[in-house]
Amino acid sequence: MTESVRNTYSVCPVCLRRLPAAIVKRRRDYFLEKVCPEHGGFSTVVWRGDHPRFELWGDYTPPVESEDMRPDCPNDCGLCPGHLQKTCCVVVEVTERCNVACPFCFAWSKQASEDPPVAQLAEWFRRLVEGGNTFVQLSGGEPTVREDLPEIIAAAQAAGCENIQLNTNGVRIAEEGNYMKALADAGLSNVFLQFDGTDDGIYEKLRGRRLFAEKKAAIEACSVARVGVTLVPTVVPGVNDQNIGDMTDFGFLHSPAVRGIHFQPVSYFGRCPQPHGDQDRITLPEVLQALERQTGGKVRISDFAPSGCEHPRCGFHADFLVMPEAVVRMTPRTETCSCSRDDGKAHLRKRSHIARRWRRTDPGGTEECPPGGGCPDMDAFLHRIQSRAFTLTAMAFQDAYTMDIERLRRCSLHVYRNGRTIPFCARYLTPAIP
Amino acid sequence: MADEDRIWKCAKCDRRLEKRKTVFSYLGHTVAHQVYACPGCGNVFIPEELAEGRMSEIEQQMEDK
Repeated sequence: MTESVRNTYSVCPVCLRRLPAAIVKRRRDYFLEKVCPEHGGFSTVVWRGDHPRFELWGDYTPPVESEDMRPDCPNDCGLCPGHLQKTCCVVVEVTERCNVACPFCFAWSKQASEDPPVAQLAEWFRRLVEGGNTFVQLSGGEPTVREDLPEIIAAAQAAGCENIQLNTNGVRIAEEGNYMKALADAGLSNVFLQFDGTDDGIYEKLRGRRLFAEKKAAIEACSVARVGVTLVPTVVPGVNDQNIGDMTDFGFLHSPAVRGIHFQPVSYFGRCPQPHGDQDRITLPEVLQALERQTGGKVRISDFAPSGCEHPRCGFHADFLVMPEAVVRMTPRTETCSCSRDDGKAHLRKRSHIARRWRRTDPGGTEECPPGGGCPDMDAFLHRIQSRAFTLTAMAFQDAYTMDIERLRRCSLHVYRNGRTIPFCARYLTPAIP
Repeated sequence: MADEDRIWKCAKCDRRLEKRKTVFSYLGHTVAHQVYACPGCGNVFIPEELAEGRMSEIEQQMEDK
């Protein structure tokens, strides 16, 4: 029996035209369905199972709008007045080039293109900061292929960027001694490291080569340079979904150098194999179930809250203290995390969270809190939090099959392009090859 | 003069407060700290600098406020 759960809008995967859509429930799974007058009907799984429950995941209600009030989303992006969330972070593409030819690449990196000069990037940073956008992510392609990356970071800092994150595969960081120090000295705040698992077979399938040694070396280089690193796996069913527990244990073991793991269930945009069907997708509840099951209950589904700044179904988050004797949820889960208060400041709270959790803030030295015991004073307790905090988060990016405009309008991760800031999933939206 | 440097007396017991190791429980964690307490009734005095300093920082770290 099919039950209609929610009406929304989506796009045709072939021609990308905007279409009315519905989220329907069939048995225990939820599907986004739409019909294109030219290309026919499409149905794609967006949520599997009832644990946690789709209907109880966050309490967001979209605004009531008449048809003529509704923005023409995702067209006219940049941001339009109908966008329903402010910018938390801005992705700045500093190159289209890359040093690895991954079969899965959201940005469809290519070798034959011209990089924007540092002076132009410096002007972009100034404009972003003037507009209140002080948290930037340097992305690409692979930013470390640029010889002047330290100058770019310095330009971002000089322009007033408060947080400068590098999104990288880590290969150059691993291979070149002192490179990470040069980036840190230039003002880099934290690193998002592409990290798909603890087995080289996974990297061969997803990235085309063995890379686990390079990932470990990159983490060590970040640790020496005292730059926080967050591991970012693209989770693909049948490739690394059974490695989620091992990835998490690996991350815990490398705390405080590793600040957290940011899971990204695979989305089919950019350069990627064409999905054959729902068996090629893994949804947020399944990642949560895998976390609980594969860590032997060290973390539990009940520890996690929905995305606060974005739409609830965009992801999940939880903070833990990782200690040798136990992993402890940092605060009791509340039904509505403070970050999701709709007071127009959620994007600022998320920025504070990023600065607090993803940067390396521990003072170094030996912790004074005894294992399993209380801390001798508040300074020692603060030291423990800074040294042992670990985030487990996820972002379920959307592709042309799964695009839910209700979610897109709440996006706070925006890509800067030609003077406009565009929600991430709209920027990289890619038509399917018919 | 900071609260820490003043001499404090318990209004109920009329006794000078003494620095004592006091155990605080917060969201499932325990942390001790030397604070002024009354040797008679045990009431604890939290100075403004501690409340707005380390305690506020702990609250921010733990509760993402």
